[in-house]
Amino acid sequence: MKLPPYPIVDLDLGAPLDRHRATVLKDWIDWNGHMNVGYYVVAFDKATDVLCEQFGCSWEYTREKIGMTFVLEAHVTYDREVREGDPLRITTQLLDYDAKRLHYMHKMHHGSEGYLAATNELMLINIDYASRRSAPWPDWAMPRIERMAAVHAALPRPEQAGRLIGIKRK
Amino acid sequence: MPVTLTYEMPELVLAAPLDIHRSSVLPEWVDWNDHMNVAFYVLAFDQASGAFMRNMGLGRSYVDSKLGMTFVLETHVTYDRELRQGAPMRFSTQLLDRDAKRVHLHHEMFHAEQGYLAATNEVIVMNIDFTTRRSAPWPVQAADRLERIWQAHKGLPRPARAGRVMGLGRPPASQAPHRSPGKAASS
Repeated sequence: MKLPPYPIVDLDLGAPLDRHRATVLKDWIDWNGHMNVGYYVVAFDKATDVLCEQFGCSWEYTREKIGMTFVLEAHVTYDREVREGDPLRITTQLLDYDAKRLHYMHKMHHGSEGYLAATNELMLINIDYASRRSAPWPDWAMPRIERMAAVHAALPRPEQAGRLIGIKRK
Repeated sequence: MPVTLTYEMPELVLAAPLDIHRSSVLPEWVDWNDHMNVAFYVLAFDQASGAFMRNMGLGRSYVDSKLGMTFVLETHVTYDRELRQGAPMRFSTQLLDRDAKRVHLHHEMFHAEQGYLAATNEVIVMNIDFTTRRSAPWPVQAADRLERIWQAHKGLPRPARAGRVMGLGRPPASQAPHRSPGKAASS
């Protein structure tokens, strides 16, 4: 099996993946006095980096000019406000995968009060560095994705997954 | 009781779709993949939502006068093609639905010179009372403007990317060359 030219972290098989922590920065606040919608996605994108790190496909993957990961599609539910300085805890559940894509869901919680602040469902695709086109996951990533997916398959499907946007009428 | 706005209203634009917002990709929006990062598409689209709200009379003055705010409840983005630093963007916005306190918008982001579709964003925005920070009916003038905008937009064809549900079984609809639908290995 081909290995990457850099070390990979030990695979975390906790379900969901619960490794990412952040704090709401001053720059992320808008004129409504809360974290702006765009910066929820900044925070979620960092959690995607943490997920990809599990598969050996994070920063070093791009630095070594092997590959990149691109988001194809994203769905965010904004469930509750967070303010400057609030601690954030982001968990991640793999929902599905194939030879070059990952479908997963992040949940953002207030780090100390525990409430759900937002969810983010994503479709991510592996990209070959040189051609900048989609490509199968590298050898070292695929077994890790399979092992994590097998563990996450036991989790209940998040109620926010597969949402259709619309104004619901009573 | 809906709020009555006391500040001067901007001129109402009834062209459909709304095609007034322009911006460009800032250096700080570019990530290690050397293109606009996913989050900043959302920020750029949020500014396009802001342009729609201003057209309803709900711009910065609405918040500054402590009458109300608008909050995004939900957003869905399709990333169709990359944008590099400095790329000019043009936004086109269609009102898909509305009720007494919400709008359902669909934005399309284009490279302003090359013309290609870079991304789409479907979004629900809700009116919020400034004091209670809870949902509230649109202010009187905003509701009136919204109805006129709705009359102008409701006949537009429904955008191809509206109403998407994510999943590997339904490959992305994009024509972007790097998106070849894969076979679901886990099913």
